[in-house]
Amino acid sequence: MKKLLVSLLLSIVVFICACSNDKADRFMLVEGGTYINTESDYYKDGISITDFYIGKYEVTQQEWIDVMGSNPSNFTGNNLPVDTVSWYDCIEYCNKRSEKEGLEPYYNIDKNLKDPDNINEVDNIKWIVTMNEEANGYRLPTQAEWEYAASGGQLSKNNRYSGDNNADEVAWYWRNAGDTYLSGDWTWAAIENNNNNTKPVGEKKPNELGIYDMSGNVREWCWDWFQDDVYDSGYFRVCKGGGWIGDVICCEISYSGKFDPNGIGSDQGFRVCRNK
Amino acid sequence: MFQFNKKKLAVLCAMVMIFSCFIPVSASAAVDYWQNWTDGGGTVTSTNGSNGNYSVNWSNCGNFVVGKGWTTGNASRVVNYNAGAFNPSGNGYLTFYGWTRNSLIEYYVVDSWGTYRPTGTYKGSMSSDGGTYDIYTATRYNAPSIDGTQTFTQYWSVRQSKRATGSNVQITFNNHVNAWRNVGMNLGSSWSYQALCVEGYQSSGYANVTVW
Repeated sequence: MKKLLVSLLLSIVVFICACSNDKADRFMLVEGGTYINTESDYYKDGISITDFYIGKYEVTQQEWIDVMGSNPSNFTGNNLPVDTVSWYDCIEYCNKRSEKEGLEPYYNIDKNLKDPDNINEVDNIKWIVTMNEEANGYRLPTQAEWEYAASGGQLSKNNRYSGDNNADEVAWYWRNAGDTYLSGDWTWAAIENNNNNTKPVGEKKPNELGIYDMSGNVREWCWDWFQDDVYDSGYFRVCKGGGWIGDVICCEISYSGKFDPNGIGSDQGFRVCRNK
Repeated sequence: MFQFNKKKLAVLCAMVMIFSCFIPVSASAAVDYWQNWTDGGGTVTSTNGSNGNYSVNWSNCGNFVVGKGWTTGNASRVVNYNAGAFNPSGNGYLTFYGWTRNSLIEYYVVDSWGTYRPTGTYKGSMSSDGGTYDIYTATRYNAPSIDGTQTFTQYWSVRQSKRATGSNVQITFNNHVNAWRNVGMNLGSSWSYQALCVEGYQSSGYANVTVW
């Protein structure tokens, strides 16, 4: 009886360790500091990033289903990145996953009032979302964190794409994400005829920090409002890294895409972070 | 007898060379882009002819776009074309078509159509190349683009009456760009392809076009 109890306890300990190791294997600790990669605009700014954890992989459809219970993705496969998720969907996922794992939710979400800072004409959601900055729950990366991690942090080798200067080594994008390798100029016609789609996470070469698919596969939502010389803050949220549809320039570390916060697309996904 | 004056000839040549520097090269660049897309519905047979010529024969199609033009567009393009045949039976357009980025805009200058004349949010009208065009905008929601999935605006100039085919005609694109600007429609700063295209949608027909 004693032997049976000991065996049972040992099995439980092994099981718990396995689960913990599984979570640890899915995240990288990104050591903070100033930008080393000269390709990044933040290099010129001289800003500094504090340590944080980031997902090694884009959030997969299995990970999404485990938290949200259903799968919105256009392409289906447990190890494919979840797609067709709005910025709001991802914010909600972060909080629900935090609650599920006993962490303090990072976001406060007010669905009853419209965000007065949101001036997007097609956004019919406009939740007010604020941060609990000391919380240990899941969150989106900031634009600066995303670019820092994608560029390899303190181990950066100054690559144009996350992990290499050759996009084909590290990224699934419009040329290589379908039946054949597409040449010539970008046309949606060619991409559609080529049956392009998302790919299982982690199949391309990782970057200097061991993070996969930061260039290509699906675009990744960031926390920030997009802002440039044409658009004020309040129209779009930033999405980084490019995906299987857009031109290869979208896969560059320094490129910041933009999308309506309520926008969805089969090339739109995300990865999560946590504070250290 | 005509006396050949070398000095006058040299001066004339120099003047021609000087003035040729002011001819916008972009307005008359050679056609270098071939668009040939179909969603596979029905039967669509396109022929990439010599130089700027192409033809397309379609029967009960889904959606297709076939055309010739320029890999890099610009606002000052003068599109010369001769549609020797444009015979849609059903929905189809004969249109100049292209994209800009920064801002992401898809634009059309429609000279002829089949059974359906495209419209949108009316912004005004303008005249160019012997015709009057209505100006419209429309929005494509969560649609694929060179920047990935986006919600973006379409700019349309649609001729009020179908343009006659079978002769050499022009689309002076700059007139449309200026007219659009005058009603607050500003194209982006980065130019993707632009082409004179035949588009068909759930129809049949035949077209033969030469672009230069």
